[in-house]
Amino acid sequence: MFVFSGHPRFFNQLYAGIDYYSLAARFITEALNPSVYTYEVSPVFLLVEEAVIKKMIEFIGWEEGDGIFNPGGSVSNMYAMNLARYKFCPEIKEKGLSGLPRLVLFTSEECHYSMKKAASFLGIGTENVYFIKTDERGKMIPEELEKQGSAPFLVCATAGTTVLGAFDPLDKIANICEKHGLWLHVDASWGGSALISKKHCKLLHGIHRADSVAWNPHKMLMAGIQCCALLVKDNSGLLKKCYSAKAAYLFQQDKFYDVNYDTGDKSIQCSRRPDAFKFWLMWKALGTTGLEERVNRALALARYLVEEIKKREGFQLLLEPEYANVCFWYIPPSLRKMEEGPEFWQKLHQVAPVIKERMMKKGSMMLGYQPHRGKVNFFRQVIISPQVSREDMDFLLDEMERLAKDL
Amino acid sequence: MAESSSLEHPGLDKAAGEEFLQEAFQILLEEAVRKGMDATEKVCDWREPQELQELLDLELRSHGEPRQRVLERCRDVIRYSVKTCHPRFFNQLFSGLDHHALVGRMITEALNTSQYTYEIAPVFVLMEEVVLAKLRELVGWSSGDGIFSPGGSISNMYAMNVARYRRFPDSKRKGSWALPRLALFTSQESHYSIQKGAAFLGIGTDNIYLVGVDERGKMIPEELEKEIERAKAEGAVPFFVSATCGTTVLGAFDPLGSIADVCQRHGIWFHVDAAWGGSALLSRKHRHLLTGIERADSVAWNPHKMLMVGLQCSAFLLRDSSGLLQRCHGASATYLFQPDKFYDVSYDTGDKTVQCGRRVDCLKLWLLWKAVGTEGLERRVDRAFAFTRYLAEEVKRREGFQLVLEPEFINLCFWFVPPSLRGKEGSADYWSRLGKVSVGATVLRPAPSKP
Repeated sequence: MFVFSGHPRFFNQLYAGIDYYSLAARFITEALNPSVYTYEVSPVFLLVEEAVIKKMIEFIGWEEGDGIFNPGGSVSNMYAMNLARYKFCPEIKEKGLSGLPRLVLFTSEECHYSMKKAASFLGIGTENVYFIKTDERGKMIPEELEKQGSAPFLVCATAGTTVLGAFDPLDKIANICEKHGLWLHVDASWGGSALISKKHCKLLHGIHRADSVAWNPHKMLMAGIQCCALLVKDNSGLLKKCYSAKAAYLFQQDKFYDVNYDTGDKSIQCSRRPDAFKFWLMWKALGTTGLEERVNRALALARYLVEEIKKREGFQLLLEPEYANVCFWYIPPSLRKMEEGPEFWQKLHQVAPVIKERMMKKGSMMLGYQPHRGKVNFFRQVIISPQVSREDMDFLLDEMERLAKDL
Repeated sequence: MAESSSLEHPGLDKAAGEEFLQEAFQILLEEAVRKGMDATEKVCDWREPQELQELLDLELRSHGEPRQRVLERCRDVIRYSVKTCHPRFFNQLFSGLDHHALVGRMITEALNTSQYTYEIAPVFVLMEEVVLAKLRELVGWSSGDGIFSPGGSISNMYAMNVARYRRFPDSKRKGSWALPRLALFTSQESHYSIQKGAAFLGIGTDNIYLVGVDERGKMIPEELEKEIERAKAEGAVPFFVSATCGTTVLGAFDPLGSIADVCQRHGIWFHVDAAWGGSALLSRKHRHLLTGIERADSVAWNPHKMLMVGLQCSAFLLRDSSGLLQRCHGASATYLFQPDKFYDVSYDTGDKTVQCGRRVDCLKLWLLWKAVGTEGLERRVDRAFAFTRYLAEEVKRREGFQLVLEPEFINLCFWFVPPSLRGKEGSADYWSRLGKVSVGATVLRPAPSKP
């Protein structure tokens, strides 16, 4: 069994489709096999990374800043957590956490699970991650944030949650963080690419007030796995101070060129892939307007699908989406007359896994399902690739009916 | 490639895209692969950073560019990049190009998937398990666990975190605040990722006890014992020892058997950072360098170094097969790891990692291994050793060249003493003047001419 994420009916994850420029760029970097730690070994890719970071910072709305590309949004979130911790108490780098007063961090109930993994990996502990309540649209409730007693060293807002595609109200959250002097990290791994669209960037209004942002172009912008940046507002070298180890065999100070270009010591990694390049080449080829069209198209198609779902019998939207996640139930004919009580929901919960199995064994399409916050298994349709058209959306609904009508 | 904004039709010109790919592929095959491996071509086309920035025209603009311009950019990028596959690129602990592995990498890119669940990456989930099992077999374990991670630094961090979790399982939930001061031990020649790991994990770099090495760069087990006693006397709790097999600069191998004895006596997690030296396990002639590795609790091994499979390919191997890795890292996200899937969800191995999305790193290694066999890999390793021996002899023979020490691996460290300094070893400023000449350690690993 083989799964092709470039297929126009692959909707299973927060990445999909193929960009030919990105693919060519990836073939080039595979052939060159560089490691982006020093200018001497990787002159082109290091300079490209700096240029891309600078451009992404511009879209966030900072005058200047810093950043690095990482192997995943989860790792970007870890970087931000560690950086905020370092800013709060730089001694932790040398002394560790033992014996220190416990630090906590706040994030929303809808945050990505990497926040928990990060907390345990970094020695903070998953119990010290406090989950702030969200509203019925999956957005963090700022008043709930303000209510918390303890002072966190980090507040993490999410711009584009994994399941619902919700955007936390960044301005209100930033107000609270500023008032209390808290580090605000925005996990915009999924939603960050909306910044490229003049029409939709308002979803992230207030993001310039963040101290750090995680943004994964390999998701909505199809830059190719992996392409994940951590951007930092600080321009005083905090990232480097936090992470450097000054290894003498790599970062010699007596090189024949300006060693400030050796940016690898900002990373927790030693050898590192040239992940920014594929994004750069694609951006050069398409221009900002080309990338913007993509985002607009994906969200327009999502809107189309939502309207179709509302029109069709047997399909029920979970909520009005604000991004590219369209969450819905398919209710087979046999359940349509049933009252919406516990028995109905219990039966409906069993429908999605069967449909999923059937679609995969047939190979006609792929989309994901999950239970979430007390709601039984529902489908999460994600639209990304420009190859996808209305026909594919119609197909999705038709195929679901075909696969499930006997349930 | 204009993209239609109408939702009626696909917004992607596949024919134009494929044509572009074909052209780009021809360019990279000629400029990066063929010329890159040609000894008569340059290893690097040096430019000062500011000049290179201008040449590359890095700025990202609102409008796109015609296809030919983009292809020119591909040429420029290749031209000004260092050719790490060049037969005279010896700068790092990786070099060369294997065509099978490169094909594996290109297929990986074309398929563009993440490796968290069986449904998403069925082939690669199964393949990863097979490859990891093979690596474990070479280590000497008939069972165990593991995962591919984005680099040896992160593999070492995994080891540190799993060791902490095993010793103090509550720390996953509660954090390290209430733990006693933890102590970890590694040699003075160890890789700096141990430092970065200690800082990142909240253990603290001050709590790394650096163990002395002998004149060959190998950890002295008696010193390790002393440091452990010292840490205990200071009220710290030793929880992790990292021995290195193939240190970064000198290529030294710590004496694993004696170190294992010490760890066993004190009940401390024994990790072996074999990121560099692990590949010697493939050679029946040279694997003795890692005698005792089967006594480790965990091993880091990077096939992207000596086996030339391409960055990144770093295995974190674990002797435990009780699911420790899963318990340590698992978060059971319900949108990925649903328990009610229609297949056996124990194949969904993604929750063992600290990553969510994760690259497929196993295909390039698997394809190479299938193509050349263990014997083919062994021949490569033996050949690299043989060439090192040859170079060491030549260095000894030639005037002006001086070995730093006899290599036991394939790091050859030497000074070039220019004529003006020869015979002046007694003078006070000899070493500082020599230090200005030197390019530091060189690593000899010629790409094999045949697989």
